[in-house]
Amino acid sequence: MTPKANQTTASRTGLQVLLVEDTAADAELILRELRRGGFEVTGEVVQAPEAFRRRLRASVPDLVLADYNLGQWSGMEALDILREEDLDVPLILVSGALGDVAAVECIKRGATDYVLKDNLARLPISIRRALQEKGLRQGRRRAEEEVARKAAELARSNTELEQFAYVASHDLQEPLRMVAAYTQLLAERYHGKLDAQADKYIHYAVDGALRMQTLIQDLLAFSRAGRTGLKMEAADCNLLVKDALQNLIAAAREGGAIVKFRDLPVVLGNAAQLRQVFQNLIGNAIKFRGPKPPIVQITAEPIDGAWVLSVADNGIGIAAEHAESVFVVFQRLHTRTEYSGNGIGLAICKKIIERHGGRIWVESAENQGATFKFTLPAKEPALNPDAGTVGVERPDAQQTPSLVG
Amino acid sequence: MNSTELDILLVDDSQEDIDLTLHALQRENLANHIQVVRDGEEALDFIFCEGAFAKRSLDCLPRLILLDLKLPKVDGIEVLRRIKSNPHTKLVPIVILTSSKEERDLIKGYDLGANSYIQKPVDFDKFRETVKRIGLYWMLTNQRPLVHQAKGQGA
Repeated sequence: MTPKANQTTASRTGLQVLLVEDTAADAELILRELRRGGFEVTGEVVQAPEAFRRRLRASVPDLVLADYNLGQWSGMEALDILREEDLDVPLILVSGALGDVAAVECIKRGATDYVLKDNLARLPISIRRALQEKGLRQGRRRAEEEVARKAAELARSNTELEQFAYVASHDLQEPLRMVAAYTQLLAERYHGKLDAQADKYIHYAVDGALRMQTLIQDLLAFSRAGRTGLKMEAADCNLLVKDALQNLIAAAREGGAIVKFRDLPVVLGNAAQLRQVFQNLIGNAIKFRGPKPPIVQITAEPIDGAWVLSVADNGIGIAAEHAESVFVVFQRLHTRTEYSGNGIGLAICKKIIERHGGRIWVESAENQGATFKFTLPAKEPALNPDAGTVGVERPDAQQTPSLVG
Repeated sequence: MNSTELDILLVDDSQEDIDLTLHALQRENLANHIQVVRDGEEALDFIFCEGAFAKRSLDCLPRLILLDLKLPKVDGIEVLRRIKSNPHTKLVPIVILTSSKEERDLIKGYDLGANSYIQKPVDFDKFRETVKRIGLYWMLTNQRPLVHQAKGQGA
């Protein structure tokens, strides 16, 4: 878009009008009508396609007024030329008698309006509206371009960041492997052969290296959660929870935990990733227990064609001011001696749920237990909210809660 | 090293990894007849008795090659290709032991006839355990063809 075309406003003085007109008297009449309508007009008249094109290339007018029937060619072809030159210049047909069919055809092909020569008084109104519409069009286009640019920028920086996290953690792993291996070898070979101080220092070094290895592996897992392709399928949450519990059996047993779930829905998602979400949330519920044995309850309710799944526990809970930050990578609320872990689990849950187009949040108060909730698309797009047991194919899951521990 | 006795050819450019691998094999008494080379070119010279190894006998082939992929001069995939495409050497078992777990390396490796593909475990104990199992399996469990045994490796 040339700057000239961008400056156009209806109220601007000095409207550049290009007339496509073969009758000099008519051209004069039109210009006079415009001046009478309040425009300060500079008009130029062309009669042939070549001259029209040449003139457009020399400088872009604010407006084209074209006669419909020009003997050699027609105002309609002027529309084609404007399009070929990629110009957003309003074209109004100013014509003698024009049938309805022809008029409709003109508008269809991109003319802004048509005005009959015996009703030229309407022309200034038509022009004002055309210029106004063009202004809006440009504003909208600029806004759209800006949004598209921002979105592309964001997507690029996200990709770069993920790529960076992956490469960095991958490359860090190799030298760290050496540090960890050789400090462990030192500890093994020279334990008790140096002095107590040396043993302690070596122990610190081993411990630090191993912890960093876990951190890097967690970071890689986090980055992988956002990188792997998502195969969406119907996933039965009852099975996902069962599978997750298999992996948590030792922790659950040790803590005497009870995990209850029933009537969980079939959702649309990636089974492996969703199992990971359940595993992390249930694992946390067991880990962050209070004085009583952990009781974890998993329920679901349908809302607006989606499911809200809840994992509720009776553990230590989360103070309201931390409700957001628990989902941040490596964010921990406790010291390592109180509770183990790197603070990656919930960050992975959040990434996975968001990749599924859902949302995850926590409802809790300190010492009141915590309820993690997340939304997932239902398997069937049009879900009947009354059908609380949609897709559950295992009648045994309806009444008897599954117990672990 | 007695030139007629060779168990393992270890191809790796990282001294740290070489030492770790040797350490793990020594614990199992599997490191008595090991040749270490540090790049792909040296590995090929050794196997085909060229360059610095010109005086070696072509008949003295290792019972196992532990091959890293990221190697200077000639990379591991090319070493694999050359050894597996030569009728004289193609029966020598090659275990790729690398830090890469990229799918295309895996596919390329197996495609060219690698006998096994193992990613170096990040965890030290697992690394040691893995090297031990590779050594025990290929030195003790695995049955090799008579044609190779007859060629006087004397192991």
